[in-house]
Amino acid sequence: MSTVQTKAPRGPVPARRGAGPNWVDLVQDLGLLLVLLAGGAAMTFASPVFFSRINIENLLFSSTIIAVMAIGQTFVILVAGIDLSVGAVMALASVLAVGLPLHFGVPVGVAALVALAVGGLLGLVNGLNVTVVKIPALIATLAMLTVARGVAFIYSGGQNIAPVPDVYVDVQAARVFGFPLIILLTGLLAVLAHVVLARTRFGRAVYATGGNPVASRLAGIRTTRVVLLAYVISGLAAALGGLMISARLEAGAATSGQGMELTVISAAVIGGVSLFGGEGKIAGVILGVLLLGLVGNAINLLNVPPNYDYVVSGFVIAVAAALDVYRRRTVEASLKRRSALAKRSEAGARR
Amino acid sequence: MPAADAMCPAAILAVKGVTKSFPGVLALDGVSFEVRAGEVNALVGENGAGKSTLIKLMAGFHAPDAGSITVGGALLHPDPAAAHEAGIATIHQESHLVPGMTVAENIALGRWPTRFGLVSRAAQFERARAVLTQVAPGLPPDELARRLSPAEQQLVEIARAVAEDSRVLIMDEPTTSLSGPEIDQLFAVVRALRARGLGIVFVSHWLEEVFAIADRVTVLRDGRFVGSRAAADLDTDKVVTMMVGRPVEAMRAAARPLGSPVLEVDGLTRLGMIDDVSFTVRAGEIVGLAGLVGAGRSETAACIFGIDPYDRGAVSIGGTPVPRGGPTAAIAAGMALLPEDRRQQGLVSKLSVRSNATLAVLDRITRHGLISGEAEDGILREASAGLSIKMASPEVPIATLSGGNQQKVILARWLARRPKLLILDEPTKGVDIGAKAEISAIIIKLAEAGTAILLISSEMPEILSLSDRVLVMRGGRITAELDRPEIAAETIMTFATTG
Repeated sequence: MSTVQTKAPRGPVPARRGAGPNWVDLVQDLGLLLVLLAGGAAMTFASPVFFSRINIENLLFSSTIIAVMAIGQTFVILVAGIDLSVGAVMALASVLAVGLPLHFGVPVGVAALVALAVGGLLGLVNGLNVTVVKIPALIATLAMLTVARGVAFIYSGGQNIAPVPDVYVDVQAARVFGFPLIILLTGLLAVLAHVVLARTRFGRAVYATGGNPVASRLAGIRTTRVVLLAYVISGLAAALGGLMISARLEAGAATSGQGMELTVISAAVIGGVSLFGGEGKIAGVILGVLLLGLVGNAINLLNVPPNYDYVVSGFVIAVAAALDVYRRRTVEASLKRRSALAKRSEAGARR
Repeated sequence: MPAADAMCPAAILAVKGVTKSFPGVLALDGVSFEVRAGEVNALVGENGAGKSTLIKLMAGFHAPDAGSITVGGALLHPDPAAAHEAGIATIHQESHLVPGMTVAENIALGRWPTRFGLVSRAAQFERARAVLTQVAPGLPPDELARRLSPAEQQLVEIARAVAEDSRVLIMDEPTTSLSGPEIDQLFAVVRALRARGLGIVFVSHWLEEVFAIADRVTVLRDGRFVGSRAAADLDTDKVVTMMVGRPVEAMRAAARPLGSPVLEVDGLTRLGMIDDVSFTVRAGEIVGLAGLVGAGRSETAACIFGIDPYDRGAVSIGGTPVPRGGPTAAIAAGMALLPEDRRQQGLVSKLSVRSNATLAVLDRITRHGLISGEAEDGILREASAGLSIKMASPEVPIATLSGGNQQKVILARWLARRPKLLILDEPTKGVDIGAKAEISAIIIKLAEAGTAILLISSEMPEILSLSDRVLVMRGGRITAELDRPEIAAETIMTFATTG
């Protein structure tokens, strides 16, 4: 009978320090990465423009908003929730950030903070509806989607609010070492989110709460608080997306972000975040975002009518989900085998 | 149904020498059992004696490994639908009605009468009314099942059995959720059915009820048939002896010096669950909480640990009242709980062994706000010292470990907090014999180190060998408090079933 736990970190299995992948995640992440690289290679052949600096920058740039919102959404899905309201919250934040300075002379910075605060607040309301009122997340955030979109339309009268303050245009155009600032900041946000999830108590509590809320509560984790915070993060990320879309459209647009929630959730699911909660990584989510970005870029470059984007994206989602189911099944089967082996060898050792 | 069968006075259903094993457990070992027409046969035994398995075999859910089950002389095909066809109706502990359907629809469930291919509501109503007059005359056939009380739901299930011309009615602890008058009503129905020639299997933990209704009592113990005798020839003491009858193991944890009181529970009451529960657990003491399933033991633990709110009473640790703030407050006060259902309440199966072990000490594994692998390993190493957890590495998902090792990881989770009070709810449930012995040894070691331990267990040997004191619960109340010299299986079983 051998006990390994005391010396395990130096044992035959390579030690993992939170951030590094274990083999299960490696299959998932590498699989997606390979799909992405294969797609990129195919596009390099198909279009001479694809592998140019300007196009790659374009692809990354156009993915930033989805990336920011998908990062927020990931926290919610990890606690076994879902946030359908992100597209509408984004629109509301957009009209507030542009409208408040224009109509009420609110300083631009303050207006941006107000927009973010509204996003966070609506996230908190979502969270309270889910945890305290106990409305199913799908319904609670669907209601929020409708209300937020409605308020955005009421405030803007359905018109685009323009012009956008100069700062937005400047930040959007800014480059650091010749590279677009927005892309760098989005990357930074992804790294931050990764660290929070992989290396902080809150992150650990997120995975535990999504994986088994009862066990987490019995272990002393304040699960309600964890879920609330996840929705607040999603709301904040959606509002941040609203500021970014204002810069891109050079207007506060109540119509922006329609259907965005589905793109964002798809990106997370393609990236390996389990809709049942407790499983998924930011790195995967970013790959999911990039894969969707690649599809859009390819449609564009190959002169396919833009409406085909939806059809192709739909296929990508279905294929990614099917692959995920397949992976889960093989992994589970191998886990079961291992567990059975462990039991047998233990019984042997005892005898 | 051939008329000859109905007139035959002998056994309608005969179980002969049936053996059934599940991975790692021999649930039934050569058991024989008979159900005769016009007789109520009470099936009794401790938790784990094999009653549930026997019921499932008779209801066609499992096939026996060896032996035979015959109905009216014909071999029973191991399939619930076939058992149903053969006239065996089973009333399970939980309701099996479709909540959104009416009483009439539920009675006709799956056999809705049709006319021209459409379900005939009129015929359905007529059939329901005819049966309900025999079983529950007051019950309106058009009421939705979900609006019924548990007692009424049960009567609807009995009505369904009658409507289907069942010959054998198996009732698995039918009185658990019923009040006194409801039980009387149920018994009246059972007697009426018996008079009509049905054979009835009545499973109950409550010996008074058994003697109130049964013609015959059959006792199982550890998966074996102990005896089947006319109820008139038996009394409670004889049945308890038959139930417990194993040679009482002399192995007993040595007495330890006890410290000052750690847990003090005073008049704890949660309406409908537990009633005026008071007791103390001292430092270094192992207090066994015995009783049958549903006696209120886990409910008591849930109130103490702050999982469920309580209506009256107080809980204190080391003389300081524990505020009502959920498990977090209880943990802060120095409590730890090893829950009964490891999968549902203990494990986060997607997380690694290490993350599972440090789940209750997240505040102690961070350095500068970030989780430190070294700190986690240190805590895991310290908490699991002496537990001999077998695993490939602390990185593997906890789901890959065997049941006993999973349990040790959850135990380590709590030992990392160095609790003053450790509540163990069925700590060896679903673990194999070797791991059982290891866990028992760990429990004794913890008590020697001064931890106060409240041990809930349905396994009599576990209670007998580990407890310094035993509290017996029944119907939400503590019915006996036994000190070391008084601890005996018969005494515990008597208080658990009749006290």
